[in-house]
Amino acid sequence: MSVDYLLHESSVGYAVFAVKLSSDSVGSRTKEVQESHTDLARFGKLVTLQAFSPFQGAAQALQNANDVSEGIMSDYLQTVLESNLPKAGKKEKKKTTLGVTDKNLAGSIKAAFPGVECETGETSELVADLLRGLRLHAEKLLKGLQMGDIPRAQLGLGHAYSRAKVKFSVQKNDNHII
Amino acid sequence: PRGRGAPRGGRGGVGAKGGQRVIIEPHRHAGVFVARGKEDLLVTKNMTPGEAVYGEKRISIDTPSAVSGEANGDSGAPATTKTEYRVWNPFRSKLAAGILGGLEDIHMKPGSKVLYLGAASGTSVSHVSDIVGPTGTVYAVEFSHRSGRDLINMATHRTNVIPIVEDARHPLKYRMLVPMVDCIFADVAQPDQARIVGLNAHQFLKVGGGVVVSIKANCIDSTAAPEAVFAREVAKMREERIKPKEQLTLEPFERDHAIVAGIYQRST
Repeated sequence: MSVDYLLHESSVGYAVFAVKLSSDSVGSRTKEVQESHTDLARFGKLVTLQAFSPFQGAAQALQNANDVSEGIMSDYLQTVLESNLPKAGKKEKKKTTLGVTDKNLAGSIKAAFPGVECETGETSELVADLLRGLRLHAEKLLKGLQMGDIPRAQLGLGHAYSRAKVKFSVQKNDNHII
Repeated sequence: PRGRGAPRGGRGGVGAKGGQRVIIEPHRHAGVFVARGKEDLLVTKNMTPGEAVYGEKRISIDTPSAVSGEANGDSGAPATTKTEYRVWNPFRSKLAAGILGGLEDIHMKPGSKVLYLGAASGTSVSHVSDIVGPTGTVYAVEFSHRSGRDLINMATHRTNVIPIVEDARHPLKYRMLVPMVDCIFADVAQPDQARIVGLNAHQFLKVGGGVVVSIKANCIDSTAAPEAVFAREVAKMREERIKPKEQLTLEPFERDHAIVAGIYQRST
């Protein structure tokens, strides 16, 4: 039950990371394993950037943010995954395992890629920890980014996303949660 | 609830006029200040001078220019700059009430990234935005569309606030908008709020990051005694790998409210 690839969705684009060394999930709560995820030098040995596909503009970013939040695989994400995950060979029975944050998105990916098995943060603590590490170090791990690019993209995307939410509510009053 | 917290009346007081008579002192918590005038007030340094967010009072102070060493050459009058502070009403903000109640650590300071759950219209968020300053960021999550509108409007003037109109129960929905943060502040007043905080912490909170939760006993269980409710919530937080450090009630500002602060620990 190891994981081969990780998908990281950020405000600037999609990134696929290959997992080089994957520890087993037994000791994942020990202090040493936890520290290996928070220390960039050690975390960099665990994963390598396979591909980073930035969004082309604010409109595309918003479109993808909406899809990601609903657990839908956008066409863009599909092309990113197609070109970066190994093709499923007929002879090889072994499937590629991809670590995804959201189980709905994992379902959409599995439906489109028969050769891909998905692990989410809920099914595997190891994946959850690795994805946390990616989020923590994203700015350093994604090639070609300047410091401050991610926060800036988050600011623009946050406004766009929230404005769209508020605009689309037909009834102007609140939805009550029960 | 606007009607409730009408700013203390009284004449004169510390209006914009009283500039000279008010002294600003830094509070124990970095980014928070105390204005000492006729009465002491909790204030934060205004990120957007000249603008009030919700009609709160502002205090403008003349401060000698920071570059006093170099200014010697110019001789002339000592250059002063105006610094503006905004009054933070503890009757309207639970975090302000917690600070006045003596919280040991609020886990946010200039430069921090804060995930704020239950941002409402953004009145308290604006003060957190003042605390973290231009180098920090506040990710403000609010589910209600009506309050969300006000929140977005407030955020247009403050570039360190990122408005997120989404349900805090589903942190995955806004995972593209939030990085790892230093602190989670929650004022969601929901029966399952410990779980909500836990979900967000597992997703976004750094190891060793701070959790500050405001608990309204009535919203969790209106039949049990407040103390019992608080104890139960603290136990639930422990299960979410949050180590509680302190707990205090918000008397006299709020009735049957408590604030609990803790540290997120991933390793056991």
